[in-house]
Formats: sequence, C-alpha cells, structure tokens
Amino acid sequence: MNVPVEHVLTLSAILFTIGVAGVILRRNAIIVFMNIELMLNSVNLGFIGFAAAMDSMVGVMFVFFILVVAAAEAVIGLAIMVEIFRNKGTLNIDELNLLKW
Amino acid sequence: MEVFFYLFAVLATVGAVSVLLIRSPVYCALALVGTFFCLAAIYVLLSSEFVAAVQLLVYAGAIMVLFLFVIMLLNLKSDQPFALKFSIPKIIGLAVTVGILAQLIGVLNSPAAKVGPSGEYTIERVSAEGATEVVGRLLFTEYVLPFEIISILLLVAVIGAVVLAKRYVASGEEESG
Amino acid sequence: MIAEQYLPVLMLIGLALGLGGMFTLLAIMLGPKRPTDVKRMPFESGMPTEGSGFRRYHVRFYLVAMIFLIFDVEVIFLYPWAVQFRNLGLFGFGELMVFLAVLVLGLVYAWKKGALEWE
Repeated sequence: MNVPVEHVLTLSAILFTIGVAGVILRRNAIIVFMNIELMLNSVNLGFIGFAAAMDSMVGVMFVFFILVVAAAEAVIGLAIMVEIFRNKGTLNIDELNLLKW
Repeated sequence: MEVFFYLFAVLATVGAVSVLLIRSPVYCALALVGTFFCLAAIYVLLSSEFVAAVQLLVYAGAIMVLFLFVIMLLNLKSDQPFALKFSIPKIIGLAVTVGILAQLIGVLNSPAAKVGPSGEYTIERVSAEGATEVVGRLLFTEYVLPFEIISILLLVAVIGAVVLAKRYVASGEEESG
Repeated sequence: MIAEQYLPVLMLIGLALGLGGMFTLLAIMLGPKRPTDVKRMPFESGMPTEGSGFRRYHVRFYLVAMIFLIFDVEVIFLYPWAVQFRNLGLFGFGELMVFLAVLVLGLVYAWKKGALEWE
C-alpha cells in the first residue's frame, strides 16, 4: 500500500483529538472512558503507521503492551465506576466532586 | 488499494464523531465498535494482520462487551443532562482541542517526522515469515522482560477486579434479573 | 503484500452488508404499512406490555465478563508462542510457564474469593 505515512498519522491525530474533545465535553463517565479507549487506539494506529513506514517491528510490539494496559485499565476503571455508581447514584462527572475542595 | 485506506479512515472518523455526539451510551459503544473495526481494517492494509486480529478479539470483542455490560448493569439510558450543553469552560476546552489537533498535524507533517524505511522488517520479509511468527519470535526473545511484566499487570488486574466487584456481588442479591 | 490476501474478506463483508441492507431497504420500500395501536405494541404472547425493555443485568455477569477479559488477553499471547513453539524450544516453554504461573495465581485468588461461584 502506498498511502503516505503522513496520512496515517493525520488520521491518528484526528481520532486522538476527537477523543480529547469527548473527554472534555461529555459528562457521562462511561462515555468519557470510551473516549479514552479511542485515544489509546489512535496511539496504536500511530505506532502501526510508523512501524509500516520504517520497516520496523518495535511499533507492533508496543501495540501489544498498550493493549494489555488498555484491557487492565478497562477492567479496573469500570469496576471503580460501578462502585462510584453504587455510592453516589450517578455517573455525571460534574457531580463527582469528592476529590475537589 | 489506497482507496480502501481512505474509505476506512472516513468510516473510522465518522464512528469517532458519533461517539462524541450520540446521546445514548449503548449507541456510543456500538459506534466505537465500528471505529475499532475500521481501525482493524487499516491495520490489515498496513500489513499488521495479527494486530488486526487482536484488535478485533480484544477491543471490539471483549473491552466493548464489558462497556456494554456496565451500561446495562447501571441502566444508563442516556446522557442526562445532555453533554454538549456549552459553557465557557467547555468552549475553552474545545478551543484547546482544536489547538491540539493543529499542533499534532503540524508536528506529524513536519520534516522532523519524516521517516524512511530504516528497519530490517520489510513487508516482503514479514510476509515471508508470517506476521504472527515474527511477533512470536520477538516477543519471546527481545521482549521477554516486558512479556513477563505483562503477566504481573494482568495478575494485578484480576485481583483488583475481584476485590472491587466481589463486595457488590455479595451485597447485590436484591437486584435480580 | 499481505493486504491483497484479505480481498475475499472485504468482498464477504461487502456482500453481507449489501444483501442485508438491500433486503431491509426493500422491506421498508415495498411492504404495506398500516399501523394500528395494537400492532405497534411489542409482542409478549398476547399479554399487555409491562415495564420497559431495558432491564438491568445482574452483577454476576459483569464479574464473569471482567475475569473473561483478563484471561482473553492472556490467550492472545499464546498464539504467537504456539506458532513459534518448535523454534523457541525449552527456553520459550519456560518463559510461557512463568507467564502462566503468575496468571494461575490470579485464577486461584479469584477462585478462593468465590468470584467464579454463580451464587
């Protein structure tokens, strides 16, 4: 495939930015978390794009480690969210101000 | 071949924008699954087929199922009040986001990010050996230590999940169904 | 090129989407629509509908799903090992056994804590 690596990286940047916008704009904690997954995926895409452009395998290996971190993070994060929902009855992040003065 | 990349790129962006705009968390999760599928297709086009398979298995197949489980478990019908009610901090945040995008695109397209094929794993070599075989060989030779540390990370995740969720299961008997 | 080998997969996806979409579209376009209040109700064996269709799942499913996800990720790492088993020899076998031993520790913990019990 002869797509220039810049285009792959630009797609990665666009997806990352949409993820950032979602984290900033959405209020439902679960959707914020989905946007974080989207950001992790955009980083994966950047790694794969560089790996393909540079004929290297380092990027591909990194994707696996990111994937494990993402899975562990999803498990623990969602467990924490279930606990928060049980204690506070909401997942609206504007109301979750326990750590705020 | 290039056409498919741009097709899947547009589809992935559409899915991601849907995650940003759709109210219902369930539809958000499904849009994200679509984005993950498109990314897997792009990985295949970039000749990383094993990563594509793993993407489908873990992201689209398992992580998003977990998200859907939690959405169903908590019965979150829709984002109330709707997320995109703009306030001053959010508009500032959006401006920062646009700035991040401009920065990222600028940096990634700058001459400093120009990369040439410098590694040894050309597409011909990888497809001759097989993408999965190359990953396996590297994972068990060069990347042994990260590989073993992964097991510790997963162990921590199991313990954390059991500790956090077990109490809920023990006390949540009244919520049958 | 690896990507060309996946052309049949793409064609299959296109065929499935095209067929499904076409039939749905045809049904919408050609089917007669004379809705009444009774017809619009969700069908529940003739009983009047009760409650919403959006029911909460029990937490048990969620705990099982979490543990499944973690061991799913573990299995991902068995594939590259399996295809390289002969070349890696005893060293690779030992590495994988260490990896699995740590994860079995997690499984034993979950088991002891009763996370795998259905009740």
